[in-house]
Order: sequence, then C-alpha cells, then structure tokens
Amino acid sequence: MAEKAQKTVLIADDESHILNVVSLKLKNAGFRVICARDGNEALEMALAEKPDLLITDYHMPGLNGLEVASRLRQSETGRDIPAILLSARGYNLNEADVRESGIRMQISKPFSPRNLLGLVNEALGIAA
Amino acid sequence: MAIKRWFEWIAPLGVMGGLACLIADMDPSMYSISPTTVSGFALLVVGCCSGLVHFVSLRRSVKALSRQSNELAAGPSEARQRLVSTDDVLGELVTSFNDALGSAERHTKDALSATKELQIQLKVATSQRRQAEAIIHSIDDAVLVTDRFDEVLLANDSASRALGFDKVEAQRRPVDRVVNDPQLVGMIRDVRLGKAANERRVIEHRVRRNGQDRIYRVTLSNIRDSQGESGGVVSVLHDSTREIEIARMKNDFVSSVSHELRTPLASIRAYVEMLIDGEASDEKTKREFHDIIMAESVRLGRLIDNILNISRIESGLLEIKRIPLSLTVICKEALDVISSQAKLRNIKIEEQLEPAFYQTLADKDMLYQAVLNLLSNAVKYTPSGGTVTLRTMVDESAKKVAVRIIDTGVGIPAKDLPFVFDKFFRVEANKNVAKGTGLGLSLVKNIIETVHKGTMVVTSEQGKGSSFGFELDLC
Repeated sequence: MAEKAQKTVLIADDESHILNVVSLKLKNAGFRVICARDGNEALEMALAEKPDLLITDYHMPGLNGLEVASRLRQSETGRDIPAILLSARGYNLNEADVRESGIRMQISKPFSPRNLLGLVNEALGIAA
Repeated sequence: MAIKRWFEWIAPLGVMGGLACLIADMDPSMYSISPTTVSGFALLVVGCCSGLVHFVSLRRSVKALSRQSNELAAGPSEARQRLVSTDDVLGELVTSFNDALGSAERHTKDALSATKELQIQLKVATSQRRQAEAIIHSIDDAVLVTDRFDEVLLANDSASRALGFDKVEAQRRPVDRVVNDPQLVGMIRDVRLGKAANERRVIEHRVRRNGQDRIYRVTLSNIRDSQGESGGVVSVLHDSTREIEIARMKNDFVSSVSHELRTPLASIRAYVEMLIDGEASDEKTKREFHDIIMAESVRLGRLIDNILNISRIESGLLEIKRIPLSLTVICKEALDVISSQAKLRNIKIEEQLEPAFYQTLADKDMLYQAVLNLLSNAVKYTPSGGTVTLRTMVDESAKKVAVRIIDTGVGIPAKDLPFVFDKFFRVEANKNVAKGTGLGLSLVKNIIETVHKGTMVVTSEQGKGSSFGFELDLC
C-alpha cells in the first residue's frame, strides 16, 4: 500500500508555547511541521517550502496573519495553500477582511490542540 | 338749630311777602304811600337784609369748610379728622361728608393693613427667591431657567461657561439669542410646549466650545403653574465627559486584563490536554510540560496580584501608611532578595548608597515593592556577565532623595521609551529576553507618582543599558 505523502504544515506564531504545542501535536499525528516566529518569516517560508497548510496567528511582529494569507493568495506559488487563523478572542476582525484573505477557518485562542488537529484534518480533507 | 337758620327762611319769605304787598298795592295812577306799600317795602328790605346775612354767613361757612378740607387734604393724620359742622344748610353736607370721611378712613386703614401684609409677603418671597438663586448659583452643574416666552430668567456661572454667554446680559433676553445651540433651544421649546412625553426629559447632548467637545446629560423640566399652564423650563446640564471617559478606560482595562490573563491560562490548558492525550511520550517531555504548567500558573498568580495592586492603588482603596523611612535601608532589603537571582545569572551588583539617616515620608511596603520591581527588571534584562548598580542620592538644597538603578542590559529603543510605564506595555524587541506581565513599571509609576507625589525618570540606549529611577521629597 502506497504511503500517503506526508503533509507539511507551516505554523506562524510569536509565542513559543503555541509553536511547541502545535508542533508536537501535529508531529505526533504524522505531519511534518515547520515554524515561523513572525509574519515576514512566515511568508518567506510559505513561498519557499509550499506547505500543504498554513496555520497562522493574527497578531505577530512584521506582517500580521491576515496580510500573510492575503499575499500568499495573490502569489503564483502560494495561492492554493489553505490557511487557518488563530485569533485571540477580543480582537474584532472584519469579516470581509478575513474572507478576502482567503482564510477559510478560524480557531480562537485559547484553543484545544485536539480541536486544532480536527480542523487541520478537515482543511486537508483527511478523514479523522 | 341756630339763629342763622332763621335767616335762611326769612330771606325768601320777606322778599316774596314784600313783593306781594307791593304788587297788590300797585296802582299806576295813585302815587301815594299806603301802609301796604310801606309794609311791602319793609318786608322787602328785611328779606334782602336777611338774604345778605344768610349769604355772608354761608360764604363764611364755605370758606371755613374749604380751609378745613384743604388742611385735611394737605396731609394724612392718624387722628380722626372731621369738618366742624356749621349751623346752616351746609351742616347737612358736612355731616354726610364726615360720614364719608369716616368710611374712607376705615377703608384706608384696611388698605394700609393689607399693604403691610403684602410687603411682608414680598419680603419673604424676595428672600426665598434670593435663597433659591443662591442655591442655583452654587450648583456645579449648569442651570438655565427660561420662562414661558423662552426668555432667560436665570443662569448660573456654570451655564455661562458651558454655553458661552454672559449670565447678566442674558437676563430677559430670548434664549435663542443668548445660547448659540439650536438643538438645545429646540429641546427647551419642545419641553415647554409639552411635546415631550413626560414633563421631564433627559438626553445626552454634545456641546462644542473652544474646539473641544463636551458631552452633557441634560435634564429639562417643564414647570407648570397652578393653572396647569407652562411657567417655563429648567434645564440642568451635567458634564459627563469625564465620566464617560473613565467608563471607557475601565472597559479598556478590563479587556486588556482579560486578554493578559487568558494567555498563560491558554498555555496551561493546552499542555494539560496534551498530557491527557498522551502526546508527551517520554519522561523528559512530560517533565518539561509539568514545569511549563507550573511556571505559567505562577505567572498567572503574579499577574493577578499585580493587577489587584494597581487597581487598589488607582482607586485609592489601599491603606497608605506613611512613616519616615530611609531609602537606603529599603534598597538594602530589596538587594538582599535580588542578590541570589543575580548570582544565578552571573550579574554583578554594585551599591552606592547614601547614609541611612536621610529620610523620606513614605509607605514602606509600597516603596519596597517599587525598588524591588526596578531591580528585578534590571537583572532580568541584563545578559550574563553584566552589572546592575543601585545608587541613592541626596540633594539637601533641593530637599530631595533619589534612587537610580543602572544596568548594562539590552536597553530600550527610543520609540518605546515614552510607553514603558503604560499598563501591559512590553517592549517588542525585548519580548524574548525575559518574561514579563507588562505591569511592573506601571505599578512603580503609580506608587511613586500617584501615591507619593514623586517623579519617575528613565534613560536608555538600546544595546547599552538603561537607567531607571525616581525622586521623592526629603523629610
């Protein structure tokens, strides 16, 4: 039986804890995980590595999560990469902005790693 | 009935009798003097004389009465003044006149009495009105009273200031000429005409003065008189600009606090869930997770303490115990606590402390907390091998004591320097250098400036280090 190709997930967040937790969770679930600590790094890595999925925080140094997702969508290489936004509750994000950036899913912090894994599988069309 | 009265009657009778005799005896042919003629003439003469006497007497009476009347008219007198009755036909007139006078006197007395009463009532009303005016003028809120013609009856100083007019010049002038605020004037009219649902209307109204916007809570009351007609409107404007601002600040603070508290909580939840789901397969990872959970819990606790402290200080609820104390002694105590942490990070501590007898009036716990926070920051943000210097200084002529904590740490970018004392503010560039709640400096500033009326100072150069300190009054 052919091994399903390992999917790559790019996580962008300036908080180490988030990166640690999400990395470990996804790695344990069989994904390859790459991390970025700010918006600019995230965009660079996304364009370079072409991950299967982008999970990004909203509030970050450099470009924020929406900007990263927007630019990715406008690029040649990155336009098909689905994105999940980690939003902090209390930040009022304009619904229109979110849709325009191509982000299809959101999960608000504090989030449960279990739920995030569920969303990741859903975004990648993988049966749980 | 005096003899004068007789003359009244003798006169006409004599004249008429004499004339009768003469006419009876009238015979153009006979030019002789008969007894009838003599009697006739005699009667005529008597009649005429009588008439004359009567006339003179009457005239005299009239003059007397006239004089008395003039005297009466000349000035009011308390004594019952009456015309002296004359013993002739005028006497009847005098009696009537005296009756009328008596009646007039009674009416005058009643009128005087009523006037006195009205005067007293007027005095009382004036005094009450003055009192009411004094009350209105002493009220902090702007008070504007308009009558049923929308003219300004009364305005206090606050109203003058708030709406921009002279309260003395405004009196009795139409309110739309005095107050340049069509919306407010319209509301006053609406309330007076009873267009509002109730007699009183409360609205929020924005007024622009000197380029500044102020928000007022305006209460308009329709004052009705005893007939139910509108007597006017009382408008009270309460400046709620500051209240609204404070409410918004409180809301912002609560939002910030919630956000800050959620961050460590989020970590704790996530790691616990990972443990439950068996994501930490090896002992090392498990221990790492446990440590993180513990550290985040402690951080959460410290955050809550800081927030409570700040909140208590800002709301003035914390009991402040001011005693003369030596900054040097406080600094030494804080140094003791921080020295172990410094040693761990291989940071050298230097002391340059003034003699202990220089004192300032302050709350011991608060000042200790302030110095400790500053020392803790200095150590946290200084890399291994660096130095933290703690200095106290005294300026006797300026009557000030000062504390400076100088480090050779990472420093603060110039653009962030104005914000370092803001609640929850964390320097972006240094976020990864050390953990912080963003409240430590805010607490220090509160303690020094708000509670102790001192001054905070900070200088810094990114990459070189920072100097934080404060000044208090020498006592």
